[in-house]
Amino acid sequence: MYPLRALVDGMYERAVEASKEGKPVAWCMVNWWGGDAVLRAMDVAAIYPEDYGAVCAAFGAAPAYLAQSDSDGFPTHMCGYARNCLGYAARMQALGGIPPEAPMGGMPKPTLLLSSGYFCDARYKWFQALGRYLDAPLWVLEMPHPGLKESQMEGVRQHNIKFLVEELREFIAFLERLLGRKMDWDRLAEIIDDTIEMNRVWHQVNELRKARPCPMHSRDFWSSMPASLYMAADPKITADLYRNMYDEVKSLVDSHTGAIDEEKYRLAFAELPPWHSLGFFNQLAERGWNFVIESWSYQPPKPIDLSHVSDPLERVANLTYQYFSGYFENALKNSARWGYFAYPYLEFVREYQCDGIMLHPLLTCRTATNHLMVVQDQLMQKLKVPSLIIEGDIVDLNLFDPADALRKAETFEETMSHYRKVRKEAGMAW
Amino acid sequence: MAEVGLNRAKEIYQERSRRAKELSTEGKKVIGYLDIYPVLEMLTALDLVPYRILGDMSEPITKADTCLPTVVCPFLRSVMDLGLKGNYDFLDGVVMAHGCEVSEKTAHIWRVYLNPPYAHFIDTPHTTHTAAQQQYKELLRDFKKTLEVFTGKELSSERLREAIKAHNQQRALVRELYELRKPDPPLISGTETLQIIVALASLPVVEGNELLPQVISEVKEREGGPTKKAARLLVWGSIIDNTTLFEMMESLGANVVMDDTSLGSRAYFPPVELTDDPLDGLAYRYLVELKSPRTFRETILNQSKRKDYLTDLGNRFGYLKDYTEEWKVNGVILEALRYCDIHGYEVPGLKEYLGSIGLPSIYLEHDYSQAALAQLRTRVQAFLEIIS
Repeated sequence: MYPLRALVDGMYERAVEASKEGKPVAWCMVNWWGGDAVLRAMDVAAIYPEDYGAVCAAFGAAPAYLAQSDSDGFPTHMCGYARNCLGYAARMQALGGIPPEAPMGGMPKPTLLLSSGYFCDARYKWFQALGRYLDAPLWVLEMPHPGLKESQMEGVRQHNIKFLVEELREFIAFLERLLGRKMDWDRLAEIIDDTIEMNRVWHQVNELRKARPCPMHSRDFWSSMPASLYMAADPKITADLYRNMYDEVKSLVDSHTGAIDEEKYRLAFAELPPWHSLGFFNQLAERGWNFVIESWSYQPPKPIDLSHVSDPLERVANLTYQYFSGYFENALKNSARWGYFAYPYLEFVREYQCDGIMLHPLLTCRTATNHLMVVQDQLMQKLKVPSLIIEGDIVDLNLFDPADALRKAETFEETMSHYRKVRKEAGMAW
Repeated sequence: MAEVGLNRAKEIYQERSRRAKELSTEGKKVIGYLDIYPVLEMLTALDLVPYRILGDMSEPITKADTCLPTVVCPFLRSVMDLGLKGNYDFLDGVVMAHGCEVSEKTAHIWRVYLNPPYAHFIDTPHTTHTAAQQQYKELLRDFKKTLEVFTGKELSSERLREAIKAHNQQRALVRELYELRKPDPPLISGTETLQIIVALASLPVVEGNELLPQVISEVKEREGGPTKKAARLLVWGSIIDNTTLFEMMESLGANVVMDDTSLGSRAYFPPVELTDDPLDGLAYRYLVELKSPRTFRETILNQSKRKDYLTDLGNRFGYLKDYTEEWKVNGVILEALRYCDIHGYEVPGLKEYLGSIGLPSIYLEHDYSQAALAQLRTRVQAFLEIIS
């Protein structure tokens, strides 16, 4: 898994090099592959300020950037990643270049910004607000968010896919105008096929984690997921690294080796972790807590056969749509109207046989938090699986109290043990 | 004798569900809607009564904690809380749209916990791209289908045109009402205006169109309206559905003469163009012409293909400059609910834009409670002293 993280870490250095060579650089939001593939095919070096927010949090650089954003008048309840990035951009503008303290070589000045409309309002409002510090043009890539019931209406899938495809076409036209060169469609098709394959392999890796004991902890997932979420490198290379990872995890499954010494409790985790305090999970591991699955929104989509789709843009549009709606069919079968945002947790907790779920409401993130009460409620109602709520933030370490969290965790062990008995009495499988 | 004009508006404001419940008893179907993105003309065309779902800042949130966490929009938490307490049980259905991320989730969570007989979600795009406009028209076609199934009636173009005309008439009357705020002193206060707008959001469009001319005539003829004050304010922000904030400003020596919130001019000003296919005009009005920060608008790049910050701000907020000139505004209050990302990201840029056109502004953030508003009093007072 370390080579995967290194691949992501290296993108900053590669972007700085590209910038020095006069090549275009894009600051991107996660956009579920369509926009990434287009940029790569157009030889634009892409970096992801969301990931850089986690980097700054882990390296301790975030507090100064957060303070800068606050002093510029952005409300403090806004996304920690965004505030970090706004503060970074303000400092970059003041210095006329990459701030010397910036971790991993920093993010070079962008040629363009690519944001997306998926899930979170910050994904486009934050980049729009960057106009205060950067003169880079901004493109917002649209993504449909159908309701569960509406998604099943006749013609809805077709017009949503068409929308995704047309959006990519408009983006390509914008890029061609901006960069003064044409898209290499053959290259784009190859990148898209490699992206589909990369996601397929990554999905297989995570399927292996259903084994008891679970061979791969969430910390390894979090180290490895950015390589798929952010197209940090050629997806062919990333797919190869995921294949290596598959072999490594499979060998652990075959030898019945768990990710921690003694797996006493299997847990799911929602949503993003406190990047600044990942050592916290080691202390839980010592207590026998193995985190075996995470939020669906960071997982690869369920594999889908796209061999019959000839248009590469339509192939990647289908992949993106599958990511969003891949759990809809099962949600409907289970009469779970809580749809895409909460239902997958039910499937994960059942299939990975979790004793509990740790919910991490992020005090500055609506996206990662607004569904967690429903998840808590429905997991208890449907599966008798309890939730432990530990509030915190992805960037702002002042909002997370590990000592208090550990105290709550001790008590939660009794709760998990109790509900094991309840599930057993109800005839459940775990 | 039933009240008319301003008293009627105030009466509805104070007990806003009464008329909708009467209509429900008479056999009409009442459909709740959230925010300004559900296309009301399509409800009216099928003889459904649109009823705007609002919160109640004087009601403590005691039930919504089970399904919406404390770090999301307090207005939407209040809405959900009222729903869980049965305040909206008289509704026959709901239509909600992707106004913002949390309202999108609220639409789905409402379905889970309240299971209304009819529910539809309009997944409103975030941009005005050509593809987004085409997609939005498709989404309105989907909405039309579910309404037809629910009512058992066909939504013909003819019916839809008639409904568009009725809603456009209301928009024109609201414009006329806002004209009454242009003189100095204004003929009608911000508080009274908000009461009227809340009343309109609680009545069938035809009844609103009867109320508005009464109000306009009464205001033109009456004596004893607002007095001249040094501060003429524009209030920009997310949603203000309770008069407390305006009452406080107006008691401190200001006239609130213009607003740009989702329960004010923003919801009413742009009319719908009557196009051959009425869905074209509706799609364009709701996606392109509604001026809300939730919709991203591209900025024209300069000759070097770069973005100019002030040009971008002018592109996004230029309509506010027009408002401030037409309504002779000398100060702007930026108001947003805590945890409202859509409005929060706008604040530094909007303040800079207003500064660039010589208008002082202040940003007020609150958590949608009467107690929170009381705490803003000192800041408003200080601001008014500066601009006066």
